[in-house]
Amino acid sequence: MHSEQAGPGVKIAAGLGLAFLHLPILLIFLYAFTTEEKSYQFPPPGLTLQWFGVAWHRADIWPPLWLSVQVAAIATAVAIILGMLIAGAMAQTRFFGRDQISLLILLPIALPGVITGMALRSAFAMMDIPFSVWTIILGHATFCIVIVYNNAVARMRRLSGGIMEASADLGANGFQTFRHVLLPNLGSALLAGGMLAFALSFDEVIVTTFTAGQQSTLPIWMLNELVRPRQRPVTNVVAIVVFAVTFLPILAAYYLTRDGDATAGAGK
Amino acid sequence: MTPAVEFNAVSRHFGTVKAVDGVDLTIAEGAFFAMLGPSGSGKTTCLRLISGFEKPTAGGIRIFGQDVGAVPPNRRNVNTVFQDYALFPHMTVRDNVAYGLMVKGVDRRSRLEKAEELLALVKLPGYGERKPGQLSGGQRQRVALARALINEPRVLLLDEPLGALDLKLREAMQDELKALQKRLGITFVFVTHDQHEALSMADSLAVFNDGRIAQIGTPEDVYSRPQTRFVADFVGSSNVLPPELTAALGGPSKWASLRPEAVRLVPMGHDGTVKTVRYLGAGSRVVLEIGGTEIAAMVPAGQPIPETGAQAAIAFDPRALHVMAE
Repeated sequence: MHSEQAGPGVKIAAGLGLAFLHLPILLIFLYAFTTEEKSYQFPPPGLTLQWFGVAWHRADIWPPLWLSVQVAAIATAVAIILGMLIAGAMAQTRFFGRDQISLLILLPIALPGVITGMALRSAFAMMDIPFSVWTIILGHATFCIVIVYNNAVARMRRLSGGIMEASADLGANGFQTFRHVLLPNLGSALLAGGMLAFALSFDEVIVTTFTAGQQSTLPIWMLNELVRPRQRPVTNVVAIVVFAVTFLPILAAYYLTRDGDATAGAGK
Repeated sequence: MTPAVEFNAVSRHFGTVKAVDGVDLTIAEGAFFAMLGPSGSGKTTCLRLISGFEKPTAGGIRIFGQDVGAVPPNRRNVNTVFQDYALFPHMTVRDNVAYGLMVKGVDRRSRLEKAEELLALVKLPGYGERKPGQLSGGQRQRVALARALINEPRVLLLDEPLGALDLKLREAMQDELKALQKRLGITFVFVTHDQHEALSMADSLAVFNDGRIAQIGTPEDVYSRPQTRFVADFVGSSNVLPPELTAALGGPSKWASLRPEAVRLVPMGHDGTVKTVRYLGAGSRVVLEIGGTEIAAMVPAGQPIPETGAQAAIAFDPRALHVMAE
């Protein structure tokens, strides 16, 4: 017996659950405005905007922020190219071991970050690759590829396979088909996948810890900062920035893929 | 005259599946050629062998005398109207039609002008700004046709072109395709599983069965003089008589075919039982069982129709009995 309306008890429980999940985020925002800088005292003794100015002038924030943006951008670019190629292979051809390979591609996102991190760290050490920005990027690319792949493969399966053949039939070479037919139909899926990948990479801590040398990305800088009781609200200001940088792309990705059916499935 | 398409012992095997198996075929230039057969008979694979999306595992294909074994689909002067139309969903109708010229590097103005011309040819002038998703099935088909014609192919391939349309539209499109082919004078090769479509549109046709050509000829040939039981049964559902019955009905002791419309019901003659009667408007299709074989007769409207279960007999002009090789 399914009733359309849930009882009041269920509603309250659901509300409490959501509050438990999301109120801490609001608290982080709140503490970015507190006048008290040593401990997180509730309620805050007063509100101020000064921490935004302080954060702006703190020289130690900018290098990690820049590094994070760099890592996320390059890892996303690598993921878009490789993820799209894998999706093409998986959606268009059948070969022996295809399902197993598909599982292997998805594995980095299913595995705990600690495992991925350890595996990458020992692999880099074995190959004598010094830890650098590039090892962080490679580490992030492993799970970014999965996100792009998932988006692209879903879109490719919905596309009528005939349109690629139609393009070739009309005289287009492989590059023209890619440029004029595949890319426009795949574009929003790639963009959405890329944005999610960027957001995921931007706040990644675990794999970064294992694959970084002396560099620290923004999330790692924040982790270190929380231990020190000096200008704590600055960390919260940075947290708001991280929130904006990661949440907005996810929101955009959601809206981009939501209407995907209308553009991709119209061939039938 | 060089034939438009020539198959020389062409096979296309997928592992153990012989989709096309040793097919010899010649399609004359300017022909309206049909490949007819049930699904899985190899007709669509043959079409894809011409367009280049399949490569033969044996044998050779020539298009206007040129061996196309090493020519990829995008370099063949052959275009296809796909079964699901395969229009580009993100482009307007005009850009869809102009696509073939765009990838050739024709400038925007001339290619859009040409696209308008072709849209007028397929009776869709003024639809250029729309997206394929805003068109009906019949309109999409016309766009697919215009798009395939813009490169002025010497051979146009049509894969079940009318399969997705409703009956009335299908009949109208049959006439239109036929008229278009006459006007353009290019070779049309179309695949269908519908024998009426093949008979009414084609000027020659090949009947496919199990990856091989069962018979090739004019519609008249194939319909009136089927060479095998399969052809007799598949093209227009002819009566197929086993050797004993042929002999009993006054013919040689061989397999024979007999068109339902050649069979009359008479008061006296070879006895049978009426099994089913189906009213078809212009007449009724009466199926009798005679010596364990079902024989259909077309009784024109106005003549008496026997009851199911009644005894009846048949008569026919001996010339209508067509003896088959197998």
